[in-house]
Amino acid sequence: MNLKISALEFIEEAKNGNISVEEFVSTTLERINSVDDKLHAFLSVNDNVIEQAHNIDKKIKSGEKVGDCFGMPISIKDNMCIKDTKTTCASKMLENFVAPYDATVISKLKKQDAIFIGKVNMDEFAMGLTTEFSAFGPSKNPWNIEHVPGGSSGGSAVSVSSYECIASLGSDTGGSVRNPASFCSTVGYKPTYGLISRFGLISYANSIEQIGPLTRTVKDTAFMLNLIAGVDPNDNTTVNNNNENYLENIDSGIEGKKIGIITEMVGDGIDPEVMTATKEAISKLEGLGATCEEVSLEMVKYSVAAYYTITATEAGSNLARYDNLRYGYEMPVEGYEFNSYISKARKKFGPEVTRRMIIGGFVPSAGHAGKYFLKAMKVKSKLTKEINEAFKKFDLLIAPTVPILPFKIGEKIDDPVSLFLVDINTVTANLTGKPAISIPFKIVNGLPIGIQLMANSMNDKMLLQAAHALEKSVTLPEVPI
Amino acid sequence: MVTVEEIEHVSKLMKINVDDHSEYLEKVQTMISYFDILDSAGVESEEISMPEIPIEQLRNDEHIPFGDKLIEKMNHYKGTFVRAPKM
Amino acid sequence: MTKIGLEIHCQLTNLESKLFCSCKANYREFEPNENICPVCAGMPGSLPRLNQEAVKKATIISMALNCSTPEKIAFFRKNYFYPDLPKNFQITQLNIYGDTSVGGSGIITVGDKKIRITRIQLEEDPGRLIYEGSSSKNQITLVDYNRAGTPLVEIVTEPDFETPKEVRDFLNILSDLLKNLGVADPSLEGAMRADANVSIEGGNKVEIKNIGSFHDLEKAAHFEITRQESLHDRDIAIVQETRHWDDRRKITVSSRSKEEDLDYRYFLEGDIPWVKINPEIKTELKSKMPESISSKKERYVTKYQIPEQVADVLSSDKFYSDLFEESHSESNAKEVANIITTELMGLEDTREKRESSKLTATHLKDLADAIQSGKVSRNSSKNALHEILKTGKTVSQIISELDLGNVSDESELLKIIEKIISDESEAVDQAKSNPQTINYLVGKVMQATKGKADPTLTLNLLKKQIGI
Repeated sequence: MNLKISALEFIEEAKNGNISVEEFVSTTLERINSVDDKLHAFLSVNDNVIEQAHNIDKKIKSGEKVGDCFGMPISIKDNMCIKDTKTTCASKMLENFVAPYDATVISKLKKQDAIFIGKVNMDEFAMGLTTEFSAFGPSKNPWNIEHVPGGSSGGSAVSVSSYECIASLGSDTGGSVRNPASFCSTVGYKPTYGLISRFGLISYANSIEQIGPLTRTVKDTAFMLNLIAGVDPNDNTTVNNNNENYLENIDSGIEGKKIGIITEMVGDGIDPEVMTATKEAISKLEGLGATCEEVSLEMVKYSVAAYYTITATEAGSNLARYDNLRYGYEMPVEGYEFNSYISKARKKFGPEVTRRMIIGGFVPSAGHAGKYFLKAMKVKSKLTKEINEAFKKFDLLIAPTVPILPFKIGEKIDDPVSLFLVDINTVTANLTGKPAISIPFKIVNGLPIGIQLMANSMNDKMLLQAAHALEKSVTLPEVPI
Repeated sequence: MVTVEEIEHVSKLMKINVDDHSEYLEKVQTMISYFDILDSAGVESEEISMPEIPIEQLRNDEHIPFGDKLIEKMNHYKGTFVRAPKM
Repeated sequence: MTKIGLEIHCQLTNLESKLFCSCKANYREFEPNENICPVCAGMPGSLPRLNQEAVKKATIISMALNCSTPEKIAFFRKNYFYPDLPKNFQITQLNIYGDTSVGGSGIITVGDKKIRITRIQLEEDPGRLIYEGSSSKNQITLVDYNRAGTPLVEIVTEPDFETPKEVRDFLNILSDLLKNLGVADPSLEGAMRADANVSIEGGNKVEIKNIGSFHDLEKAAHFEITRQESLHDRDIAIVQETRHWDDRRKITVSSRSKEEDLDYRYFLEGDIPWVKINPEIKTELKSKMPESISSKKERYVTKYQIPEQVADVLSSDKFYSDLFEESHSESNAKEVANIITTELMGLEDTREKRESSKLTATHLKDLADAIQSGKVSRNSSKNALHEILKTGKTVSQIISELDLGNVSDESELLKIIEKIISDESEAVDQAKSNPQTINYLVGKVMQATKGKADPTLTLNLLKKQIGI
């Protein structure tokens, strides 16, 4: 059973009865069993899926209507609620939390006969970009297990790139889908803010984050988007996409498109290998008929500081509900006073989450909001203006997804500011609400490099067409695991 | 420069019991110091903007009960109460 | 000079669902934590879904209080930890990026006085706490989230009140106004609460929280003024602080909360976009707004010649003025108003009595018509009303069953009159010399007929029989 097929290939084969869904799913479970000890992509594996797969096979055989996913095994980042399933956010604080309802993306995929094969690892509450801050241990990069897989949706990227599932849903607050996609050589997509419902996604920084698919191909991402995008009455921030079909005309190419190269994202601090790859990508795009030219977004310099200020503020508020009263772990309340109880209960948060919450208490506080939080919000506004201006001239913007190659586990964990700068190329899309995609482009010394394309709000379809064109221009080696 | 005392004060505000103060606080201090870069962004005159929704698109006023007994899935006590420490 | 400002919280009790979810707005009928869902219980991953009607009702209140209403409203998070707050932040409104709360500054007139409204904000109510355990060691708190997320408007006033009496008058007017708008029933338990800030000449402002009723609010303001004045007389500085109203001891007590607990770290609620309320919607809301109490009163006085005082009582009570509108006609309006204000309001002076009452607008109309046509005397109509409330039978049925109908049969009445004339010869003589004293004889007839004699007919017959 070949697990290395794309979602669209799987569906075609399953639909035509060429493969048995049950066999595919059980082989996938075997694959997880054999490689995940090394990779640690999964926090929990759903063993009850065989029966579901079996039933889908039966439906296919009898000609009954089957959902568009045909039993395709998908992994879900462990910050999305699946009813009656543990949803931990890779945190000790929610180690035993069982979600009482389905996230909107989950109910949409359930209707389409997707199989949720397991919940995957992440940085605790999505705060990090290496998956090292998971309370349950880091995930490993399948290209070289001494290296980080990126994060925070590290488990998603690892599970897709090492054939432990066909596709995954991650969440992207400042690059958390695109960064691990780049480090693990998968496609990673952050849609226009509001395109996908966040209902049931456990919030980290709700004003800028989005759920996004990680897949083997751009087409697979378009397919996933068709299933999960659109207005949701449960999420007031969702936008109407008029039931756009993102797969249709995906082969349109990029001839005549104008692409801006963001000066601030290809300058200081970029790894020479990454720079070389970026230049190669630009010439490929030019070869396909696009014109490329540099464009400056001055606010990018301040974007990471603004990003961390805003995300910490929202996180400080979003994570306040974890006081261990309504749900959480066993810790009797008798003998405690309210403040001392919750201050003690909240010690279960890991060090990075604790640090960010303290920052989140500090930067918007009465005496400091003017210096930090308000300025950050204003940088966000100005950056948005700048990028909107750029999109008057350009159809797309390009930069490497991450300015450096995947680094070693432990290498940067004690240096928060150097970790900050790894986010420099990804946070802009979140702060401005624009869609952005990371496309696997090159493997250098056995480590992946991804290229990021960005488009204007609601131009997700055109962005996917461009990404598909770039993707087709390269052939990459197989993951060595 | 943010002082360690200020950070300690905030951790109390955020109801976080920090055992090893110095280890946490120094890192937090480094991180916040990095944010000083915002001072040179020159954005004082910018306005803060937000997405908008027309009132017509908001939910209608209907009572739809949650199907399950949610309290049974929460920590409960004395029948259907949630238990908290003394105030 | 004493200055008192108010923050009044009023639940929008006429809504079906909560502010951010579809659980029931009226939480009063449920077992603890039976009226909750992932949204109002603050479960991970849940998002607020703003109730359109709540925004509209809050806008109507703002308009009725002559407040400005902005084009866009924004929501903010007020961050603090408390067990009745499932998210450990409250979604509320504020005016830090321009006027974005549902109502801006406005004015309401109380007697001769104008009270300035600072702003009106739409926000969620927290859950309810019950304290349990006697010794400090075993004390715990029980939490019921049924109320959490109930839509509230907070009305903030400038410190324009000078006496506790002015505060009470204002609250009465406000309460009638909210009821008249059809947005809330302030008489429901816990539906309307207020905090006050009080300062005297040369002293700092003191906030008083936790005041359970309007009655206590007046008392708390009284107490606080006296306390501050006595401090002032002894040259002791009045510190700026928050005090709690001790309901049992009827005094205010300094709160122990430290300054650090008061940093709410307000910032924009990203889960709710700014809500655009375009002018057409506002015009529509305005056109659907019920007639104001003052214009109602004026109409009653000028159109139906209802006395000022009766019109005042009737117009300020939404329930009875609605009943009046439904039951009156051009000709019986005064009579209907009279029955409602002098009899009915007294008979139905509690919620229970009003709810169990079987009276309908038709009853009221028929009864007023019966009085006017002389079918029943005003006196007997009281008994009829009693019976209507109890049984709901028709007016004509009750009049005949209880034999309340006027004696208007001439021959029957004549028999009674003849008997009285023979019994009261002295009074008859007096009436002959002084016709005004005939009223005594009319009274006698009434007595004999238990008030059912037609008064006009009686008088005419008496005059004829005596020969005056």
